[in-house]
Amino acid sequence: MSRGPIGIGGAVVSGKGLRKQGLQRLARLGTYAGPYRWRLIGAITAMFGVLACTLALPLLLKAAIDSAIIPGDTRLLAFIAGSVVLVGIVGIGLSRAETYLTGWVGERILTDLRGDLFAHMQSLSMSYFERQRTGVLISRLTNDVEALQQLVKDGLTSTVRNVLTLVVAGTILLFLDFRLALATILVFPLMALLTYFFRGQSARAYRLMRSRLALVTAALQENLNGIRVIQAYRGEARSRAALAELNQSYRDANKTTVTSSGWYFPTVEFLAAVATCIVFGYGGYLYVDRSIEIGVLVAFIGYLASFFDPVQQLSQVYNTFLAGTAALDKIFDVMDDAPTLVDAPDALPLPALTGAVKFEDVRFGYNPERPVIDGLELNVLAGQTVALVGHTGAGKSTIIKLLARFYDPQGGRILIDGHDLRAVTVESLREQIAIVPQEGFLFNGTIHENIAFGRPDASRADVEQAAREVGADRFINELPDGYDERVQERGSRLSIGQRQLIAFARALLVDPRLLILDEATSSVDIQTEAHIEEALQRLLADRTAFVVAHRLSTIRSADLIVVLEHGKVVEAGSHEQLLAIDGRYRGLYGDWAEAVAR
Amino acid sequence: MQQHSLELTSGAELRKTFWPTMRRGVGLMRAHRLALWASIVLAVIGQIFTISIPWATGRVIDEAMRPRDTNQLRYLIILILCLAIGRFAVMYLRRLIAGTMAINIEQDLRNLVYHHLLSLSFPFYDRNQTGQIMSRATVDLTALRLFLGYGILFFTQHTVSVVAVMAVLLWMNPIVAAFVLVIVPPLGLLAVMYSRRSQPIVTEAQQALAHVTTQAEESVVGVRVIKAFGQEDQEVVRFRDRATDVFTLNVMATRLRSQYVPIMDFLPTISIALLMLVGGREVIQGSMSLGDFVTYSLLIALMVMPLRMLGAWIGEAQRFVASAIRIFAILDTEAEIVDAPDAQPLPAGGGAIHFDGVTFGYDWDRPIVSGVNLDIAPGSTVAIIGRTGSGKTTLTQLVPRFYDVQHGSVLVEGVDVRNLQLDELRGAIGIVAEDTYLFSATIRDNIAFGKPKATDAEVQKAAERAQAATFIEELPDGYETLVGERGLTLSGGQRQRIAIARALLLDPRILILDDATASVDASTESRIRRALEEVMQGRTTLIIAHRLSTIALADRIVVLDDGRIAADGTHDELIGTNDVYREIHDHGLVDRRFVDADGDHVIIPVGVDQEEGS
Ligand SMILES: Nc1ncnc2c1ncn2[C@@H]1O[C@H](COP(=O)(O)OP(=O)(O)OP(=O)(O)O)[C@@H](O)[C@H]1O
Ligand SMILES: Nc1ncnc2c1ncn2[C@@H]1O[C@H](COP(=O)(O)OP(=O)(O)OP(=O)(O)O)[C@@H](O)[C@H]1O
Ligand SMILES: [Mg+2]
Repeated sequence: MSRGPIGIGGAVVSGKGLRKQGLQRLARLGTYAGPYRWRLIGAITAMFGVLACTLALPLLLKAAIDSAIIPGDTRLLAFIAGSVVLVGIVGIGLSRAETYLTGWVGERILTDLRGDLFAHMQSLSMSYFERQRTGVLISRLTNDVEALQQLVKDGLTSTVRNVLTLVVAGTILLFLDFRLALATILVFPLMALLTYFFRGQSARAYRLMRSRLALVTAALQENLNGIRVIQAYRGEARSRAALAELNQSYRDANKTTVTSSGWYFPTVEFLAAVATCIVFGYGGYLYVDRSIEIGVLVAFIGYLASFFDPVQQLSQVYNTFLAGTAALDKIFDVMDDAPTLVDAPDALPLPALTGAVKFEDVRFGYNPERPVIDGLELNVLAGQTVALVGHTGAGKSTIIKLLARFYDPQGGRILIDGHDLRAVTVESLREQIAIVPQEGFLFNGTIHENIAFGRPDASRADVEQAAREVGADRFINELPDGYDERVQERGSRLSIGQRQLIAFARALLVDPRLLILDEATSSVDIQTEAHIEEALQRLLADRTAFVVAHRLSTIRSADLIVVLEHGKVVEAGSHEQLLAIDGRYRGLYGDWAEAVAR
Repeated sequence: MQQHSLELTSGAELRKTFWPTMRRGVGLMRAHRLALWASIVLAVIGQIFTISIPWATGRVIDEAMRPRDTNQLRYLIILILCLAIGRFAVMYLRRLIAGTMAINIEQDLRNLVYHHLLSLSFPFYDRNQTGQIMSRATVDLTALRLFLGYGILFFTQHTVSVVAVMAVLLWMNPIVAAFVLVIVPPLGLLAVMYSRRSQPIVTEAQQALAHVTTQAEESVVGVRVIKAFGQEDQEVVRFRDRATDVFTLNVMATRLRSQYVPIMDFLPTISIALLMLVGGREVIQGSMSLGDFVTYSLLIALMVMPLRMLGAWIGEAQRFVASAIRIFAILDTEAEIVDAPDAQPLPAGGGAIHFDGVTFGYDWDRPIVSGVNLDIAPGSTVAIIGRTGSGKTTLTQLVPRFYDVQHGSVLVEGVDVRNLQLDELRGAIGIVAEDTYLFSATIRDNIAFGKPKATDAEVQKAAERAQAATFIEELPDGYETLVGERGLTLSGGQRQRIAIARALLLDPRILILDDATASVDASTESRIRRALEEVMQGRTTLIIAHRLSTIALADRIVVLDDGRIAADGTHDELIGTNDVYREIHDHGLVDRRFVDADGDHVIIPVGVDQEEGS
């Protein structure tokens, strides 16, 4: 039974290279079967057995008619009937083994592939994730693997089985009666031609359909993600219309597949009937000539079915093959995308940090032609607290991303305790730093799990301690399940400020040598913020910290204030030093002051 | 309210709901019943043609070959060809009609589900993960459309062919037929048992798959946090666990399949054996013709495919019901927030808002705001302040009626929002939410989201007021720059300013700014603030803020504490009486020491400074 495509696929495959490339992809998929080869061999052996049992039946029927019924030999008839039963029983046993083993191996391969794909994705760099749409990445892990499931579980085995059936049935036909076989096989070129046309037509239609479906799914995903904005701005009607239009275009693409399979399958059935007529027409004359027996004709009719079915099924499997290899393509594309940030071959683990950080003429741009950081020089002593200030878009968050090595600079270098970031292992670096990002992203889980994210084995007492430091304990204790309260997706059951506090506690719990706060308290109330600042005084005593903030109160206590403009340091110094010169900081400061002076 | 959750029912419950769900699912086809009947009728006719061919084959043997009558042979072969042509015509039509029906059904289903999703209110989205919803709208929808589009038709077609074959067999020779058909009851029984046992597993497997989707989504969206904490390995382990759950369940399903399906496949060989024993003997004795014997053997083969397919469709029927339950769970979630039958348009006015004894909580038993009474005069600017989690956002979300209150009422222009037309109400309110969401579209489209017909000049004006114009114009494609999904390619402050522009463009009567400048630097903020002062003329503005600078825009300040109004008044009234406000104020004053009348930055010490020396 042919099953439609599932979900988003976007199979935009160029037609020509498909077959060759497809085979290469399949070979690569084959390596996943390696560990399970014995089961696979078992499955294939069982498949041969099942095939033999299926194909034995017409022969037994022929024997029954020619050797037992017509001569009137009841004992032989009973014996043949017994053999049929035996074949059936053996067939059941073998078919069981085949079904189970192919199913098992198929599922196993898919599970392994899915896991590897996920692991690989996790190793890819941030820039990769910013380039790709979330929906697309997710569908690699879900829809594309599902599309493969068809190929792995049904497609491959049924291809092998059908090809085998075709060959064996053809051979048997030739052996049964050479002349009749040749006459019948006359239909075959016609069938092949028909199938060729159909396949071309349906492959095109199929590709179109899948790419349209991908659009539908991606649009739906984005609408769901933005549903709150849509409803707030009354965009429902527009979204509805847009989705309906995409649905319509998908349906239109679907329509062409209906038309092409509409003529193909009935024609194949018709050709099969023509072949039957040939068997009887030519075979009938042969029989009249007494050069053939009735049983042979009956067996012929039986095998004709085994001969035509596979052709039909193969053309159906072709769609599965298309979808599957297209999915494979996309999956392997991801797997072949080498992480741009990998440890250098001679990377050393970073020893315990004291926390001196140095930026030397660092240049970076998300798009290398548009530098965001342009010749940044910065020298931070161990244990200092550095505040980065500057207009929005000045590159503050970008510096922080560079420091955590989410990106590598395009020029210059970043040293930490004198080690170039590129010369140490990423793991040892991230172990010793903690970031509180701009958006307090929470995972769907309990509050405890979220705070303990960076140290999953942390005890409840440690988690509570971290929550207390940031003043989150107050609201957590009021929740019905306290630390075991589940926050929904992205923490949507908490207020924004609460999410930030949890993200803050999460960073403190890992006890980092280098703490990075990117507007970590921007949505927190003043009281709680004051509490956090107080705690930070103590916590930061012997660590280096980078702080991005827009509130003066957070900034002024920093040892070093760095004013950024267009990715360059324009001023640096302590609060008092910077105020003393009539520069950017004083300008910024004027804005603060003006705000409260009214 | 727990019914919003889409998590699944138990296997036992599922069995109980099997038939009602099936009936309801099939009811979705009402609009297509004509096409369905037409294709069923065509399928039955096609089946009759199909069965006639083996019958004619038997005739060939008995009437043409055994008597060696070449004329009769010619005649019968032409008959078979005619039957084949007839079948071709009928099946061609059947495929066209049924295929078109199937894609129309799919289109209907998609529109139905998508449209419903768009109409569901915030509480639904609070409780359900996007991954779960997506998995329903894709995987489950596929199961539904397969069954409705093809399942019912094939089910009838196959049943008809099995029954027709049985009838023909019985009519030709009841005794032999009785033996041959002995396999049909056990086959039916096996099929039913198989369906019973695999149904719960199939359902569970689908749920497990939805979990994979959800986890995949979360790990992709949260990848920055995962990387920052070096937790990639932990995530991979968790993901593999999820994938292994799917594996385990699918293997269980496979095991069941391997137990039942091969038996069903090979049972017909028993029929063939019985045919040989009983029928063959009759042929030898002369009470059955050889042609009939051959017809019999061919008909048994004809029965095998439909029987197997019936088995497969029984499996598909379970997938269908399992999926239908999940889709109906969505369709049955009523959009709570809809226009009342007698909803009225928004009366003219200046944006008066009135909270009257308002109590609301996301869970019924945990009020977040309670007993709030608040009168906001048209054209006034009110700051709402309070500690994190005190219910500020929640309170403002009641004005555009994103949620309905549990007690009391919210009135806009003197009318309960539940009696207003939603479209008009929300059209009069511009919101800048604290977490900014942008669409992957151009900056222009994002700003004009609430008013797609806005002219370029309007868009530009809104951007200028939100202090976004400068940076937008610096971008390579200006307003036509595509922002990545969730606006990832912009800085936090840039995103926020686009959201402000989006709200300002609407020229709303009521403006709600929920911590709208949290990620904006002080200079930009002060420029936005100046622009806002101008913008706020003639409209009611609610400002949620933590910073004194923003609060200072307001004529009146409302302090929320734990969902209750702790204080309400002007700056002068509150400074002496309210601790929360005084604290914010004092904090802000830290900065004030340096200001003098000329705006020159000279240090002026101010007495109240708790953080002196820090
Ligand atoms: N992933 C990205 N791809 C392309 N451009 C980006 C990306 N992230 C940021 N930018 C651009 O880089 C510049 C600097 O952004 P960054 O986030 O570092 O600013 P910021 O100083 O942290 O601002 P804010 O105070 O608003 O957070 C901005 O112009 C922004 O548009
Ligand atoms: N969707 C939700 N489901 C359940 N509880 C929620 C939901 N949204 C918020 N809450 C809870 O309601 C309370 C008030 O949240 P709200 O977002 O109104 O706070 P807020 O005053 O705006 O805080 P902040 O200053 O941090 O933005 C919080 O305790 C929060 O945990
Ligand atoms: Mg809030």
